[in-house]
Amino acid sequence: MYKNKITSFKYFSLISLVIFLGGCAAPGYGPIVEDLSVQARASERLPASPNNVSTKTPNNTKVISQPPVPVVTVKPKPYVAPKAAVTITAQPISNQVVTQLAAQVAIPESPLPASDQAVVEQLLTEADQLKAQGKVTQAVIQLQRAQRIAPREPKVYARLAALQLSLGEASRAEQLALKGLTLVPNKKSYQYYFWKLIGASRSHLGNSQGEAEAMGQAAKYK
Amino acid sequence: MTKQRSSNKARSKTSVGWISWLWLFKFATVLLVVGVVVLVYLDAQIRHRFEGHRWSLPAKVYSRPLELFKGQHLATGQLDYELTQLGYRWVKHAKAPGQVQKTNKGLAIYSRGFRFADGDEQGFLVEVSLQKNTITDLRQPSGESKALLRLEPQLVGGIYPAHNEDRDLIQLNDLPNGFIETLLAVEDRNYYSHYGVSPWGIVRAMWANIRAGAVVQGGSTLTQQLVKNFYLTDRQTIWRKLIEAPMALLLNIHYSKDEVLEVYLNEVFVGQAGKRAIHGFGLASRFYFGQPLNELKLHQVALLVGLVKGPSYYNPQRHPKRATKRRNLVLSVLAQQGVISDDQKRQYQGLPLDLTEARQVSRYPAYMDVVRQQLQQHYQASALSSHGLRIFTSLDPWVQRQADTAMAEQVKKLNQRHGKIDGLQGALVVSHRDSGELLALVGDYNGGYAGHNWALDRSRQVGSLLKPVIHLAALETGRFSPVTVIDDGPISLPQPDGSLWQPQNYDRKSHGKVPMYEALAKSYNQANVRLGMRVGVDKVLQQLSRMGVEQSIPEYPSVLLGAVEMSPLQVNQVYQTIAGNGFYSPLSLVRQVTEANGRLLSHFPFAVRQAASNDSTYLLQHEMRMVANHGTARGVYRYLPKQQQVAAKTGTTNDQRDSWFAGFSGQHVATVWLGREDAKPTPLTGAGGALHVWGQLMQNLAYTAYEDIKPQSLEYYYLNVTTGETMPKSCPNGVWLPIPKTSAPSFNTTCGY
Repeated sequence: MYKNKITSFKYFSLISLVIFLGGCAAPGYGPIVEDLSVQARASERLPASPNNVSTKTPNNTKVISQPPVPVVTVKPKPYVAPKAAVTITAQPISNQVVTQLAAQVAIPESPLPASDQAVVEQLLTEADQLKAQGKVTQAVIQLQRAQRIAPREPKVYARLAALQLSLGEASRAEQLALKGLTLVPNKKSYQYYFWKLIGASRSHLGNSQGEAEAMGQAAKYK
Repeated sequence: MTKQRSSNKARSKTSVGWISWLWLFKFATVLLVVGVVVLVYLDAQIRHRFEGHRWSLPAKVYSRPLELFKGQHLATGQLDYELTQLGYRWVKHAKAPGQVQKTNKGLAIYSRGFRFADGDEQGFLVEVSLQKNTITDLRQPSGESKALLRLEPQLVGGIYPAHNEDRDLIQLNDLPNGFIETLLAVEDRNYYSHYGVSPWGIVRAMWANIRAGAVVQGGSTLTQQLVKNFYLTDRQTIWRKLIEAPMALLLNIHYSKDEVLEVYLNEVFVGQAGKRAIHGFGLASRFYFGQPLNELKLHQVALLVGLVKGPSYYNPQRHPKRATKRRNLVLSVLAQQGVISDDQKRQYQGLPLDLTEARQVSRYPAYMDVVRQQLQQHYQASALSSHGLRIFTSLDPWVQRQADTAMAEQVKKLNQRHGKIDGLQGALVVSHRDSGELLALVGDYNGGYAGHNWALDRSRQVGSLLKPVIHLAALETGRFSPVTVIDDGPISLPQPDGSLWQPQNYDRKSHGKVPMYEALAKSYNQANVRLGMRVGVDKVLQQLSRMGVEQSIPEYPSVLLGAVEMSPLQVNQVYQTIAGNGFYSPLSLVRQVTEANGRLLSHFPFAVRQAASNDSTYLLQHEMRMVANHGTARGVYRYLPKQQQVAAKTGTTNDQRDSWFAGFSGQHVATVWLGREDAKPTPLTGAGGALHVWGQLMQNLAYTAYEDIKPQSLEYYYLNVTTGETMPKSCPNGVWLPIPKTSAPSFNTTCGY
């Protein structure tokens, strides 16, 4: 009986010791530390989607043959996010090209008329300041803000394209300039500017034929 | 515990003897050791939790901020709605952040300021002059004009960890006047002088309760309450009672009173919203009043503090009378203790509860669904639910509200008009025409969430919605123009299985030779299939792919009539490209992600890719405007003023299983789908169903001009559409149509008949 008691005390101490050591060895031990390995799904605001997104096969097209009208199911694919730029990773354009470009087109200076919206000019100025401070991403954010406020303002496209080009995102710059062109069918200074910018972008992309074409277009609006 | 009990029994059996004394001594020693061990263990736990990563903070998801600038067009009622949703208070004289005042010219708004991804926006007072919903001026009290003001974005959701705890972290200096006095008066009068536990406090609380005839004070200190909430769970009741006091003492030894109080303010449980647990006074303030804590007045403070005693019993939303009683009791305690005068007490007690009217749960389930999908591609689930990330989205709360309303009201009307349509469902997607940003998503007809997000993860046949893609592919070849004549006679096409496919027009008639624009306006199947076959199914599918449908689709002729299942989101992507002058821009909804401290983590830059020439797209846009002006979509003008240009297309599938409407105005692209959950026939065509939702939505959005920008290479001609020749403007029946200058029509000086 007595021995049993001793044994049980030993166990008790042992258990305490284990708890204690457990507490030391793994500070996360015990019910009071919350579990961080949780899913973000279980919530009333974010009800779980019945179809697990990850199990979908976006490129697998199912064909239901239902003659005479076969139905093609474009499977709902998981939402594909636009490419995120945590930092803009492309190689900055080399100095030589920038110099050359600056000689070709005055980027992004005078030829472009001021926007008739003061707010756009203010945001463009802020973007310039941010860019000058080296805060390029913030500059892009300001330009996109301007684009939302004045979506048909070609000057915003001009700045966005020029900024992307100066970051070496020549393809993105070319496309933005092409879209900018659709906004300025009767504005020669913009047409000249955009074609020059397209030419410079294509040059950077190694597309010499496309560059020549763009420069030919630009010449029409000189 | 069980060990102790069994040893007591053992002692009573061995009645006397030195052995038992020795044994007792040993027992006491062991107990002492165990006690010390436990204390050391508790101490370690206290410090670990208190100094480590205290809470897992859900990511906060914000809507777009409302930009106010000269020339900004707003919808009727929009500014009032947005300010109310942001918890602004309407006062006679706005003199503090979060207040708004009516003026002769419009509104005076005292904005709160906010930390955006691109920097801090300061709060300030500005008078917004409004004329017919357009902002004409923004002026500060100094008289200085302001070009641009950004209101705070709405917090529209969070990504919660599994335990569903939600909180807004606050610091002591975020507290409004009188908060600490109220809290301590009710919960722990001697907080700043006791040692973490207070036996006298218990006695005093009992006395106060007897005097008040009700439980107005609790006996345990704030420190003990914190220990209870922070370190202990309900499961370990006995253990918990034993260690609560020592832990409170330890906490008091290690940390300053202010530190402990700050953690208490953030930890305390003050309510439940569905599964979501509301912790801390910061979130409680936003949850109950829709305002930041520092803006609260004393009657609101009294309510929050009073809630600590029983958040569900005194829930002010469910039990306003009980809550008011409790609040007034708290105010009486404050008066008794001399914190406020009796006059003040009566004044505050006379005030209403001032709860926010904004709905608190699940306002944007479909949109949040897509936000989460996008974020999961870039961040781990645990990072989203615990690091307090700030997610800035393009969700437009006004557009979302109008979209929800239009869907709910029109579905109700359709059910009334046609008798109940079993399982009628609906989805609606709205994006910004030029940026491709998603502004609103409705994934279910009643805005709730029945299980499926019909805008996103359900695909249905798109029917005639693909006809504009046929036209775009045709125009891109350079061989077609809107006046190109197409035969609408019967057509038979061999199918891969050897059978013959003979598509028919909706009215089962042939319309002879029709110009291309008319084939689209009237949605003639035979003419459009013939056009598609002339262009080539492969060419049409290539065009579709450039517009964002990247999955491979087999080249069956039936695809031309929309025998393709797509989600409303995908359809909207296709129409986005048409609206964007032929430039594809991926639908996006997250603008930026920052850390809790504001450091920018991700930014999603605007990008476009040309998918069709500007000329072809312009011609197609014009054709689609004619669909709305006099074609199958003309019903939208029951909702819109005639001068508001829109371009659109209806879609109806076999046996009217799906009712579609997609199109755009000067600023918005929107797609509506209606149909039964089981895909059985409905009484609805595109024009008889989805059109109404689309029309009502557009009616209630801010009006912006369509801004027709005609490419240089096109020219408008007044045409006789049967001959394709120009005719004098005096002739009736002519149509103004844009035609490439290179294929200029021949001139005819007669009316042609």
